[in-house]
Amino acid sequence: MWRISLSAGYRSFGCRIVGPKGLWGSHVVRTCSTPAIPAGRITALQAVDLWKNHFAERGVMEPEHSGLYIIAHLLGAKTIESLEQGKLSEFLSPEKTEQMWKLCSRRLSRMPVQYVIEEWDFRDLTLKMRPPVFIPRPETEELVELVLTDLKMKPRTGVGADAQHTCLEVGCGSGAISLSLLKSLPQLKVTALDQSQDAVDLTGENALRLGLQDRLQVHHLDVMKDAETVLSLCRHISALVSNPPYLFSEDMATLEPEIFRFEDHAALDGGKDGLKVIKQILTLAPQILSNHGRVYLEVDPRHPPLIRRWVEANVQEMRYVETRHDITGRPRFCILRREKSNKDHKLDPGLRN
Amino acid sequence: MSRFFPSISCVYSVSSRVVCGGSRSVPLLLRPLPPGLSVLAAGKKDLIDFPVLNEDELEEQFVRGSGPGGQATNKTSNCVVLKHIPSGTVVKCHQTRSVDINRKRARDIMREKLDVVYKGELSEVIVKKKESELRKQEKRKKANENLERKRLFREALAADSKPGNDTV
Repeated sequence: MWRISLSAGYRSFGCRIVGPKGLWGSHVVRTCSTPAIPAGRITALQAVDLWKNHFAERGVMEPEHSGLYIIAHLLGAKTIESLEQGKLSEFLSPEKTEQMWKLCSRRLSRMPVQYVIEEWDFRDLTLKMRPPVFIPRPETEELVELVLTDLKMKPRTGVGADAQHTCLEVGCGSGAISLSLLKSLPQLKVTALDQSQDAVDLTGENALRLGLQDRLQVHHLDVMKDAETVLSLCRHISALVSNPPYLFSEDMATLEPEIFRFEDHAALDGGKDGLKVIKQILTLAPQILSNHGRVYLEVDPRHPPLIRRWVEANVQEMRYVETRHDITGRPRFCILRREKSNKDHKLDPGLRN
Repeated sequence: MSRFFPSISCVYSVSSRVVCGGSRSVPLLLRPLPPGLSVLAAGKKDLIDFPVLNEDELEEQFVRGSGPGGQATNKTSNCVVLKHIPSGTVVKCHQTRSVDINRKRARDIMREKLDVVYKGELSEVIVKKKESELRKQEKRKKANENLERKRLFREALAADSKPGNDTV
């Protein structure tokens, strides 16, 4: 197939192997781990095929899909399905070939595709992506649907022309959830928090790109450490939504290199039982939400019964409403509702619940 | 032409309009409703009425690996496979980078396919094709008639200027 060409058409790429005496000088030559750009011109499909083999050799996951997304991006499309038929069989320009090699080399180092092309889609939005800010997962698109369904049905709080829904998002990352909600509900206002300054910055950038910055406030706050500040910012919120770090600490070590090496661990690690941040959110929720306001959480499939039990024992003002499943059929979303405290009714058993 | 719809539903629900770069015009899309509810949607500009989809009759497959999924996985392939159990029709969609949108599109494609399956000759797709063919035929006919007229006219002109006449 393709061999490293020693002819004049050869170009080293990605690392230096040229010694002072020329290509294969007698001085130390470092092994180049990056495949060489072929001498002749190649088509998009050939490039993808070539890289599929490179990726597969190195154990890089999704060897074909990775190349397909990258080449589509370089050719101005989101997916190869949306490219014109003939484009993939046309020769790539030298510039495009070089770009393909540059981006695929990054993928070779296990960088997630989303970071390689610096963007990804979430529902109907295209968002900028940047390490180490957490990459939105497809499951979370369903979380947004759950919130939207409820907000669309619910009457707005307050009276008069200013009556509108407000949302709080804890752990906004790239802004996927907040911006999706804002896009779909023109009357909505959202406050978003993240403990990572990188995430706060990226959310802000994405908001600007989408023209949604007017209805979004982003704060650099840690819900664990800055609880007081969080409470002072948010009152009478209609919906609290979060995809908090929910992995069990012991599972962090077995994560794929794509995740372990490139994404913020603080966005993933939920402590010993994965519930550290979730519990804090639920503890603060009654003071943040308006009455009957709801919390929507994405969680680990093991969490729903644990959360239900814990809330019943520890947070009187929150009522567990239901568990919803994700597209793969795993229990993934917990919905809870703020109810007025029963403390006042304890003396009269007849009025309980 | 009377049309028969497999099931009756008055539920009409519309989600946000979806815009995808590089694609053809996108119909108003629906999000899949919980099982048991049937769905009716407006088609493209000329309001094609495709058959309703009953979520109970659909089986959906989306691969996210064998682990817990969610935050623990970062896979980019988001192909959705939708199967209509009663007819055995299968639709695969990986047109976009969003699973949510692929699911919606899969349902749109399914409705088009079921339209053909259920209505055969009367299905929207086939009817439209025939109408388009007819229009093309009309156009060709008219074009030919024009050419014929022009040809006759030229011949008439040529006949008037034959050698027998003095033309200077």
